[in-house]
Amino acid sequence: MDTITTKLSSEEIFNLMKQFITEVIGEEFVEEMDITPESSFTKDLEMDSIEIVSFSEKIKAHFGEQIDFTGWLSSMDLDQLINLNLGMIISYIEECQS
Amino acid sequence: MPIITVNGKSVHIQELNKEAAETIVLVHGMFSNLSVYYFNIAPLLATKYHVVLYDLKSHGMSEKALEGYDLESMTNDLFALMEVLNLQKVHLGGYSFGGLIALKMAIRFPESINKLAIIEAPDPNDDKTRGIIDEYSREFLEHYVENFTDTTKVKMGKRQMERNHRMYEYLFYQTSIKTDMELEKDFFGSPAIETIKQSTLLLYGTDSNCLNAGKHLDGMIKNASLIAVPGDHNIPIQQPLVIAEALLNFFQEI
Repeated sequence: MDTITTKLSSEEIFNLMKQFITEVIGEEFVEEMDITPESSFTKDLEMDSIEIVSFSEKIKAHFGEQIDFTGWLSSMDLDQLINLNLGMIISYIEECQS
Repeated sequence: MPIITVNGKSVHIQELNKEAAETIVLVHGMFSNLSVYYFNIAPLLATKYHVVLYDLKSHGMSEKALEGYDLESMTNDLFALMEVLNLQKVHLGGYSFGGLIALKMAIRFPESINKLAIIEAPDPNDDKTRGIIDEYSREFLEHYVENFTDTTKVKMGKRQMERNHRMYEYLFYQTSIKTDMELEKDFFGSPAIETIKQSTLLLYGTDSNCLNAGKHLDGMIKNASLIAVPGDHNIPIQQPLVIAEALLNFFQEI
């Protein structure tokens, strides 16, 4: 597990999230999208739940014990999960790093 | 992604709280995947139990398979998965088609199953259940998504529609799933159901087309209790915390 300990800036986290999304849904789909911190997972990125599982696994593998990403997601109801966007994840990771 | 080899095929699994003394295995439904449990239900159960989720063959991120969708084969797969993970005896939960797999496990391998939780398992002889398999087409999927998945609030975009269409096309036209399911239509009438001795929780939606199937099982399984939860067939998605808490209470009861 390639866990990291250095603190990432919000731009670095954003780029890392974009890399994970590309790995999960494929470059050909990402090229057609304008990914921003406002992009929502289900509506804008059109990721389904098993793709969000893959994405979560990548975050867990990268940050290790540093963040409890699944635990954070499990506190959300369906509406919150549907409206989840990249900016919310960036903020959460930043909080965990501070 | 944790991938293990079971019966020569790659299977995607997720495990939570491996250190816990007792294990719960959860089985998802047809055309779904382990994510139905991953976000809410499994994390709550994992506060007390080792939880194992897996994607059925040709579903989620598990390897595709042309054959073996009958309950005998599906339970062979699950039993083999338990052997690979060195699980001698587990609590077992299943949703929809996964509920049928869980029932069949309790019948075939009673010594390996502790408590049994069945969520919205349909009667395989029900016209609506079999109708979906008999009448699949692209138009059917679009109509289905437009009219029947609104209770889960998740609308499918173009890429997802394509992904789902490819999965349905594969399962319906290339695999043996239709004929395998046809063979199971008398499952609920089988006397084998009455041999289930495990303490069994039946969770069904108050507005579900499958509620009668739950009542039928309640009458057949000696040690069963039926709980009707507000919602329809999609209760694990509509009411994940209600389902998770009902499961946790049930598995913890002495």
